[in-house]
Amino acid sequence: MIEAQGLTKRYGAKTAVDGISFTARPGLVTGFLGPNGAGKSTTMRMIVGLDRPTAGAVTVNGKPYADHHSPLNEVGVLLDAKAVHTGRSALNHLLAIGATHGIGRKRVDEVIALTGLESVARKRVGGFSLGMGQRLGIATALLGDPATLILDEPVNGLDPEGVIWVRNLARFLAGEGRTVFLSSHLMSEMAQTADHIIVLGRGKVIADSPVADIIALSTGTAVRVRTPDAARFAELIATHGGSAKSTEHDLLVVNGMAAPQLGELASTSGVVLHELTPAVGSLEDAYLSLTQDDVEYHAGGMAAASASPTPSAAPAPASAAAAAPTTNGALR
Amino acid sequence: MTTTAAAVAPKPTGSRTAALSFAGTLRSEWIKLRSLRSTVWCYGIVIAITVLFGILIAQTASATFASGGSLTQEDQQSYALLVSTLGIGFSQLVAAVLGVLVISGEYGTGMIRSTFTAVPKRLPALFAKAIVFGVVTFVVGLVSIFATALITAPMLPKSGITPDFGDSQFLLALVGGALYLALIGILSLAIGTIVRNSAGGIAASLGLVLVLPPVLQIIVAMTQAEWAQNLAMFLPDQAGGRLYAYAAEASVTGGVIVLDSLQGGLVMLAWVAVMFVIASVLLKRRDV
Repeated sequence: MIEAQGLTKRYGAKTAVDGISFTARPGLVTGFLGPNGAGKSTTMRMIVGLDRPTAGAVTVNGKPYADHHSPLNEVGVLLDAKAVHTGRSALNHLLAIGATHGIGRKRVDEVIALTGLESVARKRVGGFSLGMGQRLGIATALLGDPATLILDEPVNGLDPEGVIWVRNLARFLAGEGRTVFLSSHLMSEMAQTADHIIVLGRGKVIADSPVADIIALSTGTAVRVRTPDAARFAELIATHGGSAKSTEHDLLVVNGMAAPQLGELASTSGVVLHELTPAVGSLEDAYLSLTQDDVEYHAGGMAAASASPTPSAAPAPASAAAAAPTTNGALR
Repeated sequence: MTTTAAAVAPKPTGSRTAALSFAGTLRSEWIKLRSLRSTVWCYGIVIAITVLFGILIAQTASATFASGGSLTQEDQQSYALLVSTLGIGFSQLVAAVLGVLVISGEYGTGMIRSTFTAVPKRLPALFAKAIVFGVVTFVVGLVSIFATALITAPMLPKSGITPDFGDSQFLLALVGGALYLALIGILSLAIGTIVRNSAGGIAASLGLVLVLPPVLQIIVAMTQAEWAQNLAMFLPDQAGGRLYAYAAEASVTGGVIVLDSLQGGLVMLAWVAVMFVIASVLLKRRDV
């Protein structure tokens, strides 16, 4: 469990993190999304006390990180793969970090095996590839068997096999009831790994919702309808509270009505449909639309965010956006 | 790879068998110190320098004193001590460089973030580092200095020098030499903590022990200024040097102060303490 309240970090005149509040809960993978420089890493460093907040506070499992008697048992953290002395072997690095908590060789060997580092454990870290360094960072994070895991860009530099491995690991750890807090700039990765997503833009939380809701933002309510009878159907739609725009002679983009309603309307009025497709958004679309102009949005500004990205001209209420059929192919 | 996490220990709330302790932090720093090649090299060089310089001067001593008359026992002890501790002038530079690297190497590589994640209160990590590094440097210094004394002892009688190993002043000065090396190392560790950068830390540390004293000497040579002589006496190299001077006595001659071994040692400790307080405050306050 990670709880941040009004967390702020300023470097001189520049505000890196601007009064953010959020909660990462046990049993869930919480994704932390944002463009470079949004303040993700700074936030993660503040959680474990490496950076001192300018204002606000953050607790892990109910206490400030530094106040725990056994910090590595509470939180395992991968901040960047480079938090290792390059002149030391992976084995000695893990032994040295573990020794602070009385964690011995047995557990060190376990995390080495778990992260697939057996063959390079005795080699100096300076010669590691980015992927190997990343695995060592994850091994370090797991060392204390922590209840909360904080992983900053864990799939950075990993090969496809490693990416799947991290994904499964994160899901498995959350499945055990741990809190997993994961940052990534890979939206597709997040869609497959996270349960809940916090989007950060220019130091502010611009969305904090379950994954499906975030995707729904970009899905909007637009539905593509292809019919040889476009002109008549458009009039019918207008009388039923929707709005239709014709982009080709037989193609309509409909807002304000969902696909099932449109299908029923077509059936009852004898209009032949050649295509009826709810516009499907991806997490990429949602993310880009949320962050492209993030200074306009503020914490809790999801309703505002939903207005701009989609083909829809009329702003739809957030509840309608969430109700739109998003399941088919949304997590592509 | 997909057999993933079966090996992750089963307790989601974290197993409570382990806990952060200062003893564990000491162990951690010990593992860190001995698992770097640079440490092993530096300590090897300290031993080599001390022994080789000792042998070199013991051999040249025969040329210097062979024809001379008999020396007083005090001169003999003083000379035997010089033979065993001459290398400190050089090995202190190695101790200083290593002291800076012990901490600046962590800042340079990012290791410091792992260290402070494991020990979030930070100061215990710094203290453990200083204790482990200080003790190891003291032991290495002690071994190399005593080894030099024993190796060179058979070479000296032909120059009319017979070191008396039963002389407590003599033994104390040998131990003092090792203590001086350890303190210079810890002083440099504090400087490295303040500067957080290998090149800058080494420059500052060597500047203090290697550059500043000759600069003051030049001033003294040109102006005969008492303040410059007294200031030089209170710099780490001279004050600390009293730790391994034979039967060093305090005196004030014409306004020029000379410290005895205890006073010199205390001045050296004061240097370490002041630098360490500054380092601790900054370490606690700064982001990493």
